[in-house]
Amino acid sequence: MHGPDISWYVVLAALLFATGALGVMLRRNPLIILLSVEIMLNSANLLLIAFARLHGQADGQIFAISVMAVAASEVVVGLGLIVAMGRRHVELDVDKLRTLRG
Amino acid sequence: MKIAAWICLLLPLASALAITLAGTGISRRVAAYVSTLTTIGSFAAAAVAFVEMLGKHGGQRAGVTTSWTWLSAGPYHFGLSLLVDQLSIVMMLIVAGVGGLIVAYSVGYMDGENEERRYFAYISLFVFSMLLLVEGGNLLLLLAGWGMVGLSSYLLIGFHQDRPPAVAAAKKAFVMNAFGDATMALALFLLIAHTGHLDYASVFASSPTGGTVANLIALGLLGGALAKSAQIPLHTWLPDAMEGPTPVSALIHAATMVTAGVYLIVRTHPLFEFAPKVADLAAGLGAATLVMAGLIALVQTDIKRVIAYSTMSQIGYMFVGAAAGAYPNGMFHLMTHAFFKALLFLAAGIIIHALTGEQDIRRMGGLGKAMPHTRRAFLVGSLALVGIPPFAGFFSKDSIIAATLDRGAFGYCLFAACLAGAFLTGLYTFRLYFVVFGGEQSEFAKEHLHKPQGKLEGPLSMVWTVTALTGLSAVGGFLQFGRVWHPLTTWLDPVAQPFVDASNAKEAIASICAVVLGAAGIYLAHAVYAAKTIKVPKPVTLLEKKFYWDELYDALLYKPAELISQGLGRLVEQPLIAGSIGELTRGFRLGAGGLGRAQNGLVRSYALAVASGVAILAVVFLSTR
Repeated sequence: MHGPDISWYVVLAALLFATGALGVMLRRNPLIILLSVEIMLNSANLLLIAFARLHGQADGQIFAISVMAVAASEVVVGLGLIVAMGRRHVELDVDKLRTLRG
Repeated sequence: MKIAAWICLLLPLASALAITLAGTGISRRVAAYVSTLTTIGSFAAAAVAFVEMLGKHGGQRAGVTTSWTWLSAGPYHFGLSLLVDQLSIVMMLIVAGVGGLIVAYSVGYMDGENEERRYFAYISLFVFSMLLLVEGGNLLLLLAGWGMVGLSSYLLIGFHQDRPPAVAAAKKAFVMNAFGDATMALALFLLIAHTGHLDYASVFASSPTGGTVANLIALGLLGGALAKSAQIPLHTWLPDAMEGPTPVSALIHAATMVTAGVYLIVRTHPLFEFAPKVADLAAGLGAATLVMAGLIALVQTDIKRVIAYSTMSQIGYMFVGAAAGAYPNGMFHLMTHAFFKALLFLAAGIIIHALTGEQDIRRMGGLGKAMPHTRRAFLVGSLALVGIPPFAGFFSKDSIIAATLDRGAFGYCLFAACLAGAFLTGLYTFRLYFVVFGGEQSEFAKEHLHKPQGKLEGPLSMVWTVTALTGLSAVGGFLQFGRVWHPLTTWLDPVAQPFVDASNAKEAIASICAVVLGAAGIYLAHAVYAAKTIKVPKPVTLLEKKFYWDELYDALLYKPAELISQGLGRLVEQPLIAGSIGELTRGFRLGAGGLGRAQNGLVRSYALAVASGVAILAVVFLSTR
């Protein structure tokens, strides 16, 4: 087994995830929130790949590829929505977009 | 013979299904003819089976045919089997034969009625159910037929569904009969528990021969018979059932269905022989009914109700005969009664038809001149009913009365009741006859009597069937005469061997007494209603109120049930059920309002909630590991 110990990967993934989560919770621009969600997804991907390598099995890598595919589609939809909002001159602030409140 | 029996059973069912499925695709006339022809076809099949049976020797005449196992539960298997023996073939011939005549009569009677097709589908269903009842090879099929005749009776009584009294009468008949069905089902449960079978032969062989269980079984069967045959105390539905169309009253509530109780007693006679007290009870109730119904019939003013009470009274005779052990005599009276009572009803139907639906005899009168043919038919039916020789009732009723003389002290009580009944029969029957046909034509009759074109007094289908039944009522009695000539008794002997045998002297005494008393009744009726030498007495309230049976049931069952349900409604339903539902909805509304506030539309607060939830879960999992 080459490379750093598994704990390094776990810690890095945790840090990335926390960064993403904080970004989602603190920022108000939908573009940035979308980016932060991508960071969280990629931290999960990193863990999947790391453990796949640790166990010498390909399952995790396959999962990671699926996640990427889903993430890509999700970004397409999300960005599309944001662009549509921009073109209609809607203010890009999630705290203002609260018409779905109960 | 077996094939003939199946054809006999299934033809009416096929007709009922065909008429129902064809719906408006066929004309009313076609439906009527399909129904008539299938019923007559049934009769032909029964006749074929009968002729085949005649060709065999006594022991081989009965035959059970099982098509498949109909029901099987654990160790119990009940086949869909038909039993064709000497007893059931007699019933098949009566049901399909009289049924065929009455369905043919309906073609004319129901003409122009709305929903004629529905009527013919129902009546075919009835014929099927009745044949299933008499042909069923085990008690379970008998019970199935029993319930289905109740259903078709309900449907046909309530045929005029837009007429509230008809609907009420239908419900009353159904509930009363359901009570009888229930007691019968209980008897069958006891039989299964004690013998493990419901086939007639095995049940009779292994049923308990005495003690409480035998009594309970016989009581349960008797309950069913009393309800179906309208005997005290379950009789109140039959007069109300006259709300149905007249051919229905003739077929179901006079000739066939109501006599099913007698058939049941004769069919399961060993079970009643094991419980002689219950058999005596049945005979006593029959005797009480025949006197009571005769008394009530004296004051009724509806032509059909008079005949209905007369039916109850005559079934009382059959009960006395069957329960006293004179099975062939009971069956014989069942047969002749089917002829003359169907005749009386159908003749009454011609009158009602001619008077555009009027049934009150006080508005009739003097119809004899306008309708001589109907008058003759009615006269023959009345004489047969009273038992004046040589008409049918004389032979059958007097043999029952004679049989009671062979039963010791209890038999003498029955004998006295039967003779009282004979007198009453003469009185009420000829009261009806003289009031309807005698004297001057009433105002109402003059105004409303309409005769169809031509010489006939009604549609052809109605006239020829009445003529045929007149013939049967006149000569049907010659099938059997005391001990001189008794082919029916011999024929039924292998199935139901009577244990009373009246001597010639007793037959003579019974016949003379019954005929003299019947003639006295006729004479009195003539004096009061025709010659008017005696003033018409004021009707007794007790009789007009029909001995207060309806009021009794009302006070005993309906009123308490109504009180209890109203009390439960006020004390339980309102506060507990209705109240609790109100509280529940208010609680949900409040809770939903509170939770709704959490849905504030801020995406970031949702994300915070998710993240903190996951964090809490993670902590919980880690700490409980």
